[in-house]
Amino acid sequence: MARTVRQVIVVVRKELRDSLRDGRALFSIAFTVVIGPVLIGFMMNRVADRQREAEEVRLPVVGQEHAPALVQWLRQQSGIEIASGPVDAEQAVRERTEDVVVVIVPEFADRFRVSRPATVKLVADSSRAAARPKVERVRRLLQRYSAEIGSLRLIARGVSPQAMTPLQLEEVEVSTAQQRAAQVLNFIPMFIILAAFVGGLQIATDSTAGERERGSLEPLLVNPAPRAVFAVGKCLAAALMAMVTVALSTALCANIPRFLPLEDMGIRFRIAPAQFGAIMAGVLPMCLFSASLQACIATMARSFKEAQSYMGVLILLPMLPGMMSSVYTLSDAPWMYAVPMLGQHVLLAGVMGGRWPPAAAFVVAALVSLFAAALLIRLTTGLFRSERIIFGR
Amino acid sequence: MIRVADLQKRFGAVTAVDGVSFEARDGAITGLLGPNGAGKTTTLRMLYAVMKPDAGRIAVDDVDAVRAPQEAQARLGVLPDGFGLYPRLTAREHIQYFGELQGIAGAALHRRTAELLRLLDMTAIADRRTGGFSHGERTKVALARALVHDPRNVLLDEPTNGLDVMSTRAVRLIVRRLRDAGHCVLFSSHVMQEVSALCDSIVVIAAGRVVALGTPDELRARTGHGSLEDAFVALTGLERTTDEE
Repeated sequence: MARTVRQVIVVVRKELRDSLRDGRALFSIAFTVVIGPVLIGFMMNRVADRQREAEEVRLPVVGQEHAPALVQWLRQQSGIEIASGPVDAEQAVRERTEDVVVVIVPEFADRFRVSRPATVKLVADSSRAAARPKVERVRRLLQRYSAEIGSLRLIARGVSPQAMTPLQLEEVEVSTAQQRAAQVLNFIPMFIILAAFVGGLQIATDSTAGERERGSLEPLLVNPAPRAVFAVGKCLAAALMAMVTVALSTALCANIPRFLPLEDMGIRFRIAPAQFGAIMAGVLPMCLFSASLQACIATMARSFKEAQSYMGVLILLPMLPGMMSSVYTLSDAPWMYAVPMLGQHVLLAGVMGGRWPPAAAFVVAALVSLFAAALLIRLTTGLFRSERIIFGR
Repeated sequence: MIRVADLQKRFGAVTAVDGVSFEARDGAITGLLGPNGAGKTTTLRMLYAVMKPDAGRIAVDDVDAVRAPQEAQARLGVLPDGFGLYPRLTAREHIQYFGELQGIAGAALHRRTAELLRLLDMTAIADRRTGGFSHGERTKVALARALVHDPRNVLLDEPTNGLDVMSTRAVRLIVRRLRDAGHCVLFSSHVMQEVSALCDSIVVIAAGRVVALGTPDELRARTGHGSLEDAFVALTGLERTTDEE
């Protein structure tokens, strides 16, 4: 037994040393670690820009001469700069030379004077997410102006404006600032899980499919060790590499506030040591699962190239929960913790959103991952015993 | 000492090894001679326990290689056909990796590694990565790592295949030294000159069967041919000649 354990350590050491000398693999790991925070930084900057854009709006108005009072009122609002409108408002918005254009129709003045609804067109393209905050701002301003004028008219007729507001809508926001931040930073769990997946990829494929393709598998198996030694050693080495990658990636994400003005945007985001620990507790057991899954599939592949193409498909797996959560709201049902990768995603989103999952959730997620990893390593051991696999028939 | 009795191996409908029996003594070089596809590599793979025979017995120093493959492997040094190396590891690291897997460590491993590097005349390239090695240098590395645990029995599957003259001579020198040190060397080849120059006894294999056993002289005498090449051709039935009635 002690001898077997020593042999496993020997295999792990060799695979790690071999992989640390593979410049291309290290580059891809470094890329994965860095790309997450960089992309998030980029996206957050865009969000900030848009918010600023909504605050400083240059508003083209067509037909200003028909409603000088309205234009004057708009001009007095903070951050609004009135510009002369384009000849064809719809064309300008469609071609994206303008985000939003207000068109005041010629009949405006006549209808306004006799207290009939006077038309103001708000020309916008609702498929453009980037312009949405700006359009919203203008829409709210116009509605406010409409309400103010309406109130004045009622008062002039001796009616209390309150009669016109039978409902008072009051929105109660239940999510904490921290939770809203998690929504914006929803991509971080995905990037961390992706890092776990990419970190082990090189060892998992190179030490199995690559080893056979080089012809070094047969000499290796001539050494007097149970086949499980090789399966365990290779999976363990891949998992360790994945764990290091995850730790680096999480550490980098924890430093996002250093280079992003999150506070200015009203977002509180922090990966404190406690959260860092929780993220590690959530993801590290999964590393063993993902590494074993990769090693098992790569061992089954007939060639290194085939293994790589399987990995290309497999890498969609860790991205799935992240992508789903941007379309559906993943409410954290208990069963989710028992699904590898989905469970980790829910755990991480919870930890970062300030809704700490119960300790049992961590235990369940870890146990499922470890159990699945054990099964996969067993399967890989069986593959290493098969002559068809060893000799690639 | 290696004893093989009635070894059989089928791949689907093809019988690759069909009742092979022979013995390779200690302190002797035994040649496994046969044309390509005769079943030499399959036979050796069963000997070093990466393939399971369908039937037959294999004894390595009285260890049953079928029932106790790891125990047998510990007594074998193997240079497989078409071996591969790790291009990012150095020659020394290759030897140490296999040594550690064999259970050698510390000062003993260092001493043995240095000894092999000297024996195979590769001290100069010991700490270079094998990625850029020539075929001869690669063969030396594979040979060194196969011998790291000083195995009693050495199996070499076509070790001189594709080597230049100097490297071939180096391999032959090692093989003779191993024999003189009392090791059992089993050596496969499809080149008659090589086998006749090197081997103390020859096992001729064709179509998965042993067609002749004996010293080079015995084989010549038995077939009535002056040269071993003619004897080989006659024995393996590669050419239907005078032997047919």
